[in-house]
Amino acid sequence: MLIKIDGKTYKGHPGETLMEVARRNGINIPSLCYKKGFEGLGRCRLCLVEVSEGKRSKIVSACVYPIKEGIEVTTITDEIIKMRKDIILLLLLRAPDNEYIQQLVKEYEVKAPERYIQNDNDDCILCGLCVKACEKLGTKAISLVNRGITKKVSTPYDDPSKDCIGCGACAETCPTNAIKLEESNGIRTIWNRDFDLVKCSICGKYYTTLDALKFIEDKLASNEEHICDTCKKKSTASKFKESFQHIY
Amino acid sequence: MHDTTIRKKILVCCGTGCLANNSYSIYERFVEKLKDNPNITVETSIKATGCNGLCEKGPVVKIQPDDISYFKVSIEDVDEIIEKTIINGQIINRLLYLDTNQKKRIVNHMDASFYKHQHKIALRNIGEIDPLCIEDYIERDGYKALHKILFEMSPEEVIDEVEKSGLRGRGGAGFPTGVKWRTCASFNNFPKYVICNGDEGDPGAFMDRSIMEGDPNTIIEGMIICGYAIKSNKGFLYIRDEYELALKNMQAAIDNARSHGYLGKNILGSGFDFDLEIVRGGGAFVCGESSALMASIEGNVGEPRAKYIRSVEKGLWDQPTVLNNVETWANIPPIILNGANWFKEIGTDTNAGTKVFSLVGKVKNTGLVEIPMGTKLSELVFDIGGGIINNRPFKAVQTGGPSGGCIPKEHMDVPLDFDSLSKMGSMMGSGGVIVMDDTTCMVEIARYYMDFLSEESCGKCTTCREGIKLMLNILTNITEGKGELEDIDVLESLGNTIIKASLCALGKTAPNPVLTTIRYFRDEYIDHIVNKKCPAGVCKNLTTYFIDEETCIGCGICRKKCPVDAISGSLKEVHVIDEGICIKCGNCFTACPKDAVKIGGAAYAY
Ligand SMILES: Cc1cc2nc3c(=O)[nH]c(=O)nc-3n(C[C@H](O)[C@H](O)[C@H](O)COP(=O)(O)O)c2cc1C
Ligand code: SF4
Repeated sequence: MLIKIDGKTYKGHPGETLMEVARRNGINIPSLCYKKGFEGLGRCRLCLVEVSEGKRSKIVSACVYPIKEGIEVTTITDEIIKMRKDIILLLLLRAPDNEYIQQLVKEYEVKAPERYIQNDNDDCILCGLCVKACEKLGTKAISLVNRGITKKVSTPYDDPSKDCIGCGACAETCPTNAIKLEESNGIRTIWNRDFDLVKCSICGKYYTTLDALKFIEDKLASNEEHICDTCKKKSTASKFKESFQHIY
Repeated sequence: MHDTTIRKKILVCCGTGCLANNSYSIYERFVEKLKDNPNITVETSIKATGCNGLCEKGPVVKIQPDDISYFKVSIEDVDEIIEKTIINGQIINRLLYLDTNQKKRIVNHMDASFYKHQHKIALRNIGEIDPLCIEDYIERDGYKALHKILFEMSPEEVIDEVEKSGLRGRGGAGFPTGVKWRTCASFNNFPKYVICNGDEGDPGAFMDRSIMEGDPNTIIEGMIICGYAIKSNKGFLYIRDEYELALKNMQAAIDNARSHGYLGKNILGSGFDFDLEIVRGGGAFVCGESSALMASIEGNVGEPRAKYIRSVEKGLWDQPTVLNNVETWANIPPIILNGANWFKEIGTDTNAGTKVFSLVGKVKNTGLVEIPMGTKLSELVFDIGGGIINNRPFKAVQTGGPSGGCIPKEHMDVPLDFDSLSKMGSMMGSGGVIVMDDTTCMVEIARYYMDFLSEESCGKCTTCREGIKLMLNILTNITEGKGELEDIDVLESLGNTIIKASLCALGKTAPNPVLTTIRYFRDEYIDHIVNKKCPAGVCKNLTTYFIDEETCIGCGICRKKCPVDAISGSLKEVHVIDEGICIKCGNCFTACPKDAVKIGGAAYAY
């Protein structure tokens, strides 16, 4: 299926979203709640673009818009820039001190009137990626609760969650680094709960929690060596090299 | 012995409003008193009916075939009604409806100004039948439309008829119902589902509740007809949890319809299967939105999704689904029975039929009103509503629920239909109409709705959640006297972004109350911001009351009405308000017979 983005023609597959086609082709549509491999969430609203079908055109959010044959997409118009600025302003008022939001503020030259700034800062912009990441793992320890201005991400009743394995996937996907993950003396603290950390058998650094290891071992029904990602990469790389040395 | 040639029907309203005023005891008293009463020579039947619409004048008791309607009946009146009206055919004047427009008491409520202008289709049976009695419904042509479609019409013919009628969805958006059914029918993907939206989240609206309570069978019949038309065998009714009576009556009606062969397998021997199930809604406003509602039925969080693929294609559990509003369903059986042309004759070209409005606020007669589409707003407020309470100056009307808009008195001639209301920057919504007088502050109204929506938005999109919050903050500042002129521009500009950039219709309409009040009452915003004055005397920071020396006649009424003794003055002398004591309740302002109490701005502004 062929579509046009900013005048150029691109190929897409039925069922793909506009964002997927754009990212694959290196076209930058800003977003905070989109992550490759995740379904689009349509939450942050930064990915608004204009789509024309014949004579009609409308504003859609690219991360949830399924492409259609023959559409023409414009990713930047005055109207879209104005909307993005307003959205960034709203994010800025929510998370005034957040460095990731500040980057957007600079890029789009947004200024918040002093009078509108309130003292209820929250780095979390409710993009929902952490909840999705946790859901994908199958842990479902956190969810979006409440509605309206009281909406937030939390464990059930804000209590330490039984289901959490302390793996930190949520913190890793967070686009604004809003999830608190602290480590000291072999203990990781996240979502109000302490987890014992495990050392890598090669480099000796703490790299994951005992609960996370157990969870994966149960799931895969395997008992692998405890090796951190960095060392794992290194060892595959050296194995790779070895096998090539035999060839040449 | 009973004379069976004369039958008297006593209809006791047992809608939620009347029940709250003890109407069920009245019903029981009638039953008890009439049982084996040797003085009664006619055959009587007593019915507990659904809501008559004029709740504030309830409990309502109607006697047929004499067409006598009694209002504000109490349990003590029952004996007198039996003695005088049932036995001796006399009318009890005291209990008749007092029509403020016609300035007289009225025997048959249908002659009252409140009812005279009405045209009942969706509400046709309510107040006339016992909702728990399927025979009552059948007696008034119930399930005839079902017979007709099952044995005389093809599914395509049913869709043609609904489409030709021009019926548009009564849940708010006004989407053509026939088109929705046709699109859904075009997908060859089974199973398909039929859903009734009985969430009615709009505070102040109660037409859907009334229909579910008072005439549940019409909804059931409408849904079966749709099931037949789109080839679906399963329907859901999503009803909010607080609607106890509606839930009870709907469930009873479903069970009853099933045992009569109208629901279940092989309906009336036609070979068509269809059944219904009730799902209780949690009561969030946003769960009335179609995709959030379906998510909620599926057991997920009630958040809307992007509808680039519509629910007629992928709805409930990703299957083709038709969702219609309660009132929409109630219109289906009469359309099938009387034909599309009959329906099209009512209302206007592009807005066929009637709409039920719930008329509330500072208007004399409040309640449910069903009128042809295109009726003028002024007719609703003055002819039917009887005008403003205490004949105060009329200021504006808010239509369309929390994200509707305010229409000023200059535009009172606007026809009440989907398109005209949208053009005004407001909307039909579910049909809520709130009447406002001069003591309503338009900035405060806008602030109030933003407060409501800030809690009722699902909170998914940045624009809706944070945008409404910012609007609320700005409006709160203005009502507290901390506004600046640039705030108005920010509200307008931000409002437009929220409308365009939000995901669902809640966000896309949320700025309406703000944008319409700025559009029609900009001066009032400027008064708040520049002159530090709330002309309606609502924003306490921006209000002072004083008595005009020239006009005051020293009657002392205001002094007596003041709850904190802030007013002094002797009889026939000019009275004075002590600014330091006054709590700005405004009692003196509305009480003064000479309009000598004036509203000034913030004390500090002088
Ligand atoms: C925030 C929001 C709340 C809604 N609430 C209701 C409701 O309570 N009842 C209803 O019938 N429709 C409601 N709607 C409209 C529905 O989304 C949908 O359009 C309607 O139920 C379709 O039925 P209709 O075509 O018969 O009107 C709401 C829409 C929005 C955006
Ligand atoms: S517009 Fe508002 S209510 Fe609708 S999905 Fe977005 S946040 Fe939720």
